[in-house]
Amino acid sequence: MADSNLRRVETLGGLPPARGTVWVAWFMFFFLIAPSLIIIPMSFGDLNEIYFPPRSLSLFLYREYFFESVWMETTFQSIKVAILSTMAGMFLGATAAYGIVRATFRGKKMLGALLLSPLFVPNIVIALGLYIYFARMGLQGTTFCLVLGHTLFVTPFVMVVVMAALRGVDPNLEAAAKTMGAGRIYTFRRVTLPLLRPALVTGGLFAFLMSFDELVISFFLSGFGTQTLPVKMYDSIVLEISPVLSAISVLLTLLAFVICVIITIFYNPDRRTRLRLTGEAETETKTTET
Amino acid sequence: MIRPNTADTTTPMVWLQGVTKHYGTVVALDEIDLEVRRSEFLTLLGPSGSGKTTILNLISGMVGPTAGRIWIDGKDITEMPPNKRGLGMVFQNYALMPHMTVFENIAFPLRVRKLKSGVIKTKVAEVLDLVRLPEVARRKPSELSGGQQQRIAIARCLVYNPSIILMDEPLGALDKKLREEMQLELKRLHASLDITAIYVTHDQEEALTMSDRIVLLNDGQIEQMGTPDDLYFHPRSLFSAEFLGDSNILSGNIEEAGPTVTISTAVGQCRCSRACGFAESGTPVKIMVRPENVFILPPGTSDEHLNKVPARMVDTITFGGVIKSYLQLADGSSMVVQELTRAGQSVPEAGSEVYVAWSSEDTIILPVEGRIEIPAPPS
Repeated sequence: MADSNLRRVETLGGLPPARGTVWVAWFMFFFLIAPSLIIIPMSFGDLNEIYFPPRSLSLFLYREYFFESVWMETTFQSIKVAILSTMAGMFLGATAAYGIVRATFRGKKMLGALLLSPLFVPNIVIALGLYIYFARMGLQGTTFCLVLGHTLFVTPFVMVVVMAALRGVDPNLEAAAKTMGAGRIYTFRRVTLPLLRPALVTGGLFAFLMSFDELVISFFLSGFGTQTLPVKMYDSIVLEISPVLSAISVLLTLLAFVICVIITIFYNPDRRTRLRLTGEAETETKTTET
Repeated sequence: MIRPNTADTTTPMVWLQGVTKHYGTVVALDEIDLEVRRSEFLTLLGPSGSGKTTILNLISGMVGPTAGRIWIDGKDITEMPPNKRGLGMVFQNYALMPHMTVFENIAFPLRVRKLKSGVIKTKVAEVLDLVRLPEVARRKPSELSGGQQQRIAIARCLVYNPSIILMDEPLGALDKKLREEMQLELKRLHASLDITAIYVTHDQEEALTMSDRIVLLNDGQIEQMGTPDDLYFHPRSLFSAEFLGDSNILSGNIEEAGPTVTISTAVGQCRCSRACGFAESGTPVKIMVRPENVFILPPGTSDEHLNKVPARMVDTITFGGVIKSYLQLADGSSMVVQELTRAGQSVPEAGSEVYVAWSSEDTIILPVEGRIEIPAPPS
């Protein structure tokens, strides 16, 4: 695997990295990931305090998390908000991306920048704005306003991924489908959508993770009974420093890790071209024979 | 869909009536009138930016005209969306669906038409036989070579029997040998299937080989329209003469009009015994002669019927079957002579003084600007 990767770098005209560079890269990687790794042994501690290294190993803290109703309630609330805002974000993000990439109209670039702006505005600013806004409308503290806030937050992520993928979809494919008699909807369903599927899966998972982990907006918008897991965790740090936090942190890291692995598998933009290149090389010889 | 074989043959299959297309301030097409006859192989030829792809996109419905009407088979389809026009189109980059197998790609237009799966299976198998690729049905397009992909694209087009097939430089991405093979293949399919084909290319050789008629476009206008012979032997403008085939061009003035026109040039007098539209003496003109009609005479030979000018050999290059000699005339202009190669042929050495000669019948007089408006001789 590593060997074939090196060969790929070389065919692209680059050089394999020097040995020293590799070591520095690994060091930086461990330096950055160490805090997350330290949490893992701590999460297997058995006392009602955060301590490193743990004196004995047990699943006490995990049991605490899974059987304490407050933690489960906030977890389900987070899942609910994440799923709803992901669905809304995927719909809005994908359709907006399609319009921005395919359509031609005045002010297209401006609109694109505007739609992506939540990426650049600090979360605290969005959160404060939404808080004041929803409070005026009397919606602050409801799950509905949490979902709206998170939708605003995740939509640009979906948009970016889908826009990139859509730029890679040859517009001639849609033109070809239309000349063959397919209408707009048929073309979108049978040609564009299947080609965008990897991007949609990636964007969706990404959006889910972003929403599930989100603290600042949730902190401002949630109220009694609508707290999400990160908000509850924050509260517990401030109020009680519960050692259960380390177990939850491990689980969250695991979730992020699993989603990242799935994304890497699904979203590999050059996998298709690589297949095509090797396929072409193999079959070229065959055609000259026939 | 049944091809309207029984329909009257006088209605043009496609008719562009005074069609203009602007892209912003750019004029892509300037009031084009074009008729495509039933079952003909028509090529739109021209340099890039001349408007040939725009014509194709207007017929397919991908863009709408700024002015003018478009008719297909006697029906005004100017406002009709592309999916209702019932045309076929082959793209330069094939435009095969990468997520579908070859079978699904070819079945696509049939599924759109809601045919039964049994019918689809037989039709796809038939058309795969037709393009001589019966064994690739279950592969993905990415597993095929460029030539095979293009044949699948053509099969996908033939499978639903469109009466018109539009082709946008379909062989542009293939290497020379494969391209020549595919040219013959396309000709064979066109002849056996009785389709109207509209073919876009910038390759003049391809246009000359394949077409029943060529429409030469230049800067959004039709420069000349006719059979390949017409365009090659009776170019009506400097642009036509230079775009199709190689040409030697000299400048001069009409000296004496009549059945044989005499032209004075910087390198001597030339005669042209072809009919042309220039009667007034003194008119500045260009004269053109094809390299294959010019030959090199050793000094001393003379012939009354020939135009003969002194020249100096510069270089000789052998291109397999033909040999090209590059010569310089007295006024510094250059002339190319093309002969068939024969074993043991001797060519004058570089630097030697010779004569180049050509018959008055092979001399073509062209206007310095614009085009001759007399119709080309019927073919």
